[in-house]
Amino acid sequence: MLSALIGLPILGMILLGIMPAKSPTTRYRAIALTTAWIGFIWTVVLAIQFDPSQPGMQFSESLPWIEGIGLSYQLGLDGLSLPLIVLNALLTIVAILSTDRDVQRPRFYYILILLLNLGVVGAFIAQDVLLFFLFYELEIIPLYFLIAIWGGARRGYAATKFLIYTAVSGIFILAAFLGTVWLTGSPGFGYEVLRSQSHLLPLGTQVLLLLGLLVGFGIKIPFFPFHTWLPDAHVEASTPVSVLLAGILLKLGTYGLLRFGLGLFLDGWLYLAPWMATLAAISALYGASCAIAQKDMKKVVAYSSIAHMAFVLLGLAATTRLSIIAASTQMISHGLISAMLFLLVGVVYKKTGSRDVTYLRGLLTPERGLPLIGSLMILGAMASSGIPGMVGFIAEFLVFRGSFPVFPIQTLLCMVGTGLTAVYFLLMINRVFFGRLPVYIDRLPSVEWGERSPAIVLAVLILVLGLQPVWMTRWTEPQVSSLLMEQFDATQRSLPDVRTFDRTTLFMQTSPEAPISFPRLP
Amino acid sequence: MSVEQLPPSNHTLAEYVHRLESGKALLSDSPEHVVEVVGILKSYGVVLDAYSNNLIYIAEHQFLRLFPFFKYFNGEVSLDKLLRHWAHNRINYEYAEYCMKAMLWHQGGGLADHVDDPTFRKRVEPLIQAKFKFNPLMQLLHKLFPEFLPEHMRVMCYYSGLGQFWRVMSDIFIDLSDRYDRGEIDSIPQVVQHIQDGLVAAASQPITYSVTLEGETYDVLPKDVGLTFLVDTAVPYVEAIFFRGTPFPGTVSYNAQAFQIPVYQRDFAYGALFADPLPIGGSGIPPTQLMQDMWHFLPDYLHKIYQSTTRGEDDIRVKICETFQKSMFCVTTAAIRGLAPFPMDTSELSEQKENRKYLETWMSRFVESRIREAQA
Repeated sequence: MLSALIGLPILGMILLGIMPAKSPTTRYRAIALTTAWIGFIWTVVLAIQFDPSQPGMQFSESLPWIEGIGLSYQLGLDGLSLPLIVLNALLTIVAILSTDRDVQRPRFYYILILLLNLGVVGAFIAQDVLLFFLFYELEIIPLYFLIAIWGGARRGYAATKFLIYTAVSGIFILAAFLGTVWLTGSPGFGYEVLRSQSHLLPLGTQVLLLLGLLVGFGIKIPFFPFHTWLPDAHVEASTPVSVLLAGILLKLGTYGLLRFGLGLFLDGWLYLAPWMATLAAISALYGASCAIAQKDMKKVVAYSSIAHMAFVLLGLAATTRLSIIAASTQMISHGLISAMLFLLVGVVYKKTGSRDVTYLRGLLTPERGLPLIGSLMILGAMASSGIPGMVGFIAEFLVFRGSFPVFPIQTLLCMVGTGLTAVYFLLMINRVFFGRLPVYIDRLPSVEWGERSPAIVLAVLILVLGLQPVWMTRWTEPQVSSLLMEQFDATQRSLPDVRTFDRTTLFMQTSPEAPISFPRLP
Repeated sequence: MSVEQLPPSNHTLAEYVHRLESGKALLSDSPEHVVEVVGILKSYGVVLDAYSNNLIYIAEHQFLRLFPFFKYFNGEVSLDKLLRHWAHNRINYEYAEYCMKAMLWHQGGGLADHVDDPTFRKRVEPLIQAKFKFNPLMQLLHKLFPEFLPEHMRVMCYYSGLGQFWRVMSDIFIDLSDRYDRGEIDSIPQVVQHIQDGLVAAASQPITYSVTLEGETYDVLPKDVGLTFLVDTAVPYVEAIFFRGTPFPGTVSYNAQAFQIPVYQRDFAYGALFADPLPIGGSGIPPTQLMQDMWHFLPDYLHKIYQSTTRGEDDIRVKICETFQKSMFCVTTAAIRGLAPFPMDTSELSEQKENRKYLETWMSRFVESRIREAQA
């Protein structure tokens, strides 16, 4: 069943590839959209058949591939990856819908979008670390071309910077994976096999390997100081690419940290956790501070992404059951909110020709401005700022609630960061949307429903999941408990005496029966 | 022999001074402008007719009523009309009242002078006594606050005065539209001339106001006071509404946000000719309620033009406001020409100089207006 998620984009790309060269743009778009819709429906079918009460991989598939190097085609779906593949499928549709109907070189464009979808979904369902790496690297190719060909004026610079950063990211991740296989003596790259052996590694080795993953995935997420590629990439990327980049591609980094960093090296993880939490706090404050200073709307949202992705790291670093559920929730929340914000910024740019907050003004003006777009932007800003009733509140509240007992200082600093979200978004909204519509932009073309509807769908999801968050967390909760408890049990069996943390506390943090509040780790 | 000629004006808006001197209008002449101006004045005429009827009804039937709940019903109170009123399926008579209050607020003209005159106070006293002769509470109120009820009657005078002014203007605009339909109007100067002729014809028309109570007629503004249409209602109206602005609900507009609203009333200069056309939903500046009312009575040819430009129906009130401003520059042209010290086509240099001075004084008031935007 999972292979269908891989096969569908491939089929779509083949169809696009064999179409006559001078076919109308709408036909390419229709094929890509149909493929994305089928993928989404298939994902929903998987979600319906998925048993959330059963931790561990479901719909597993395994085939030997290149046995000489230990690579196997292993797929599986659990509560951590399911929400992300749903988000990926949804945002692929949104990206296609928000693409200009007269996009240049449509065949290549839509092939790249489907290839991106393929790379991301493959990474989320891969159960072989090398297979994960291949998919992880695969998505770099389409993203590079999407920025380099359909990007803004400095697209070449931004695409090259993105390529260099993510290539370095890949090197670190590959080195960590190879090191893990080599040091554990594992016969292959299968995730479960590695997981059963990685805890045997000495703490120093775990920390070293984890540092590799941390830098590799940290570039992707990105954290300060590995973040500089992201604002450039967002500014130069077209709206659909920004939607995919912020909405789902950044989550590959946090997913990788959760799945492989925490999943393989729990001891090392807990050793580095205070540093990661501190890094998260720095990243959150740095991202928020930079966002305040920006004049380009897209850069504001981009730096906001850096700040909000830091909350995921904080949740992961705290390593409590609640905080990890929160981190997973924050990934979905940020995916929906940032995708919506980028969509809206894209509409503003398309209609006004500018994203400059010092140039734009009064866009909420009902008859000649962009009132619905402005209203949705306010809703997005409220969601991002953690206003109750929206998904951002649920995610951020859970992150802070789950992390505070473990890292109170870092959590408080991150809370300041979320407070600053309101500052930079309100500054932007006040400048761009309120006041008098200037004469130089009072002939704006109207916004079509096709341009509004993707953002409206995301806004509805933001509200619905804000009011009914259990629809989001029910998939993740059993898996998180299982992930931590299995790792805890394995660690306890193999190394009963020597560790730097209090096992009882860890158990308290990870047990499904544990209370929400815990004592701080020593 | 050389003939002395008037040198070109050095005024900031010299272009418009020269236009008026050469017999043209403040609004440039083009077929598009003719269609727009005549069309909008047609709908304005229909709306003014309704406003006028209601203002006169209120003046004649709702005087000295402290709670005139059904003042917008013109005496036809029914459940069906009430429901339509609540559903806002009606003319925005509030706008007419705001214009009346703006005139009252900004004063000017003989009407303002007369209602502040002690003779007015004496003339309304019998009416007040007759109205409340069986109402001791109101009599007590009148004794305690002797200016309250006369002030109410002053307001009623403005209801009546504006109602009579708009009655004339409505007829002028409807006639203009009829002439256009008959093919008699095809340029902006002709539009201006039509309005000017109408204003001149009605210039000396008396402005009077009387009410009937229990069979007895009370002359509140009798004919012998000498109030006339042009000087005592038209000019104060143009001053208050076109130039000064409405200091009532709706004042916090985009003009206000652009810091165009002065602190003091005497400095107000953001009337209809200055208004940002983006609606604010109120009756102030720009008058969204008027735009809404005119929308219902747009001639088909103008409606089709609006539907085919910018955002179609979505920004129609903005377009109505922009067109309305164009038409108001035509009305203002007619007023300026009508009040000029000498005919614009005079060949006497001294008269030309007087006219030049007169026009430049007017143009100084237009510097911040939307006169340039209106030419588009």
